[in-house]
Amino acid sequence: MSREALLVRTLVELADTLVEDFDVVEALTRLTDRCVELFDISAAGVMLVSPEGDLRVVASSSEAMRIVELFELQAQEGPCPECFHTGQPVVDTDLVSGEHGWPAFAPVALEAGFRSVYAVPMRLRGEPVGALNLFGTEAGGLDEADAVVARALADVATIAVVQHRAARHAQVVTEQLNHALNSRVVIEQAKGVLAERTGLDMDRAFSRLRGYARSHNLRLSDVAQSLIDGRLGLAALPAAPPDRT
Amino acid sequence: MPRSRLLEILGLIREAGDSTGGTTRLCEVCAEVVELTGAGIMLMSGDIPRGSVCSSDAVSTLIEDLQYTLGQGPCVEAYEQDRPVYEPDLRADGAARWATFTPPVVEAGVGAVFGFPLQVGTVRLGALNLYRDRPGPLTDAQHADALILAGVAARSVLAMQAKAPPGAIGPELEEGADLRFVVHQASGMVAAQIEVSVAEALIRLRAHAFANDRRLADVAADVVARRLRIE
Repeated sequence: MSREALLVRTLVELADTLVEDFDVVEALTRLTDRCVELFDISAAGVMLVSPEGDLRVVASSSEAMRIVELFELQAQEGPCPECFHTGQPVVDTDLVSGEHGWPAFAPVALEAGFRSVYAVPMRLRGEPVGALNLFGTEAGGLDEADAVVARALADVATIAVVQHRAARHAQVVTEQLNHALNSRVVIEQAKGVLAERTGLDMDRAFSRLRGYARSHNLRLSDVAQSLIDGRLGLAALPAAPPDRT
Repeated sequence: MPRSRLLEILGLIREAGDSTGGTTRLCEVCAEVVELTGAGIMLMSGDIPRGSVCSSDAVSTLIEDLQYTLGQGPCVEAYEQDRPVYEPDLRADGAARWATFTPPVVEAGVGAVFGFPLQVGTVRLGALNLYRDRPGPLTDAQHADALILAGVAARSVLAMQAKAPPGAIGPELEEGADLRFVVHQASGMVAAQIEVSVAEALIRLRAHAFANDRRLADVAADVVARRLRIE
């Protein structure tokens, strides 16, 4: 396959992730493999910022220990955190020259056989999401055309990651809403059961349920379900103390 | 969709959120933006109608109520089928689609009714209901705006829920939405009265509402107020 065809295919695959349900790690791993094919490099990886705020490697073109190690180091120092914070590409065309400011990272990279690094920021509308990291075994950087392509890939990958996170967030919140509504329905039903059996109004019935739950250290929805299921008898629910709330 | 129009609508919704009357304003803004008579947002969760997030007027409340009671109508259909539902002439064509829903709605003065599903990606939350007091289709502009509003409404509902403490309903929803608690309270009371399950009790409540041509929420309110016993 020609380089151009491979590039087009990579972009299409990334774009597809926006419309289909997809595994973000799988998509990014494929991206790193494609980077190795497209550019004159030997390894690539993607780091993303976690909810806690630290950078973590999410995908890489190789599982080799030496590469895994290089990414672990970059939680603290290296081209990825630098470009993550500055929002600018970070290039070192020759780690041997020693003018990099990465006293921990550079020797380990050189030891692993890498001589050049290139990191592209992954940002959406100014919000940093992570970084795409490229490693070469020879000195030198990406030429202008390759730099543009690397940026395009990073941008599309960023959109895919952000989209995926938003979709996940929506799913999680909806599940929480569903769960909360289900619990609440049971509590309201239990209020009705108790109100009928005791002749109390709904507020007082609620106070009794809540009082029982608190004094027995149980969840209100569990107490409510027990009452509805007939597992909790009326005698067990004493009159509530004068409402102090 | 033109970005400027989206920003305009978002601005209006944000203003609505900042003012008192929270969720009601959301529906009022929806009606104002599309220049229709009224709007309501039906909340569905786990494929069950849960109630109404907001309603801009009494007729929209009726439209929501009937759908909640009957399980048929533009919002229910839009949610189930995952696409907008259009009924531009309810008086002429409504009865064929929604036999029980249509007559009381027409009588309340509704000429056209439309439903737009509330979705965020694959997640479905309910549907936006829009009605006009005269028949007629939506213009292209109204249609485009309605799609934007449904998207914004869906995100608003999620944003409201995202503020909730663990296990709870979001405070703005708790306060502003009508989640039909009275129906569930009544189910509990009836279950205790005639010694059936709460599920069976709800069925009896619905049957009573249907047989007496009343809304489920009204029957439930009577039960809770001890004005009515279901046998």
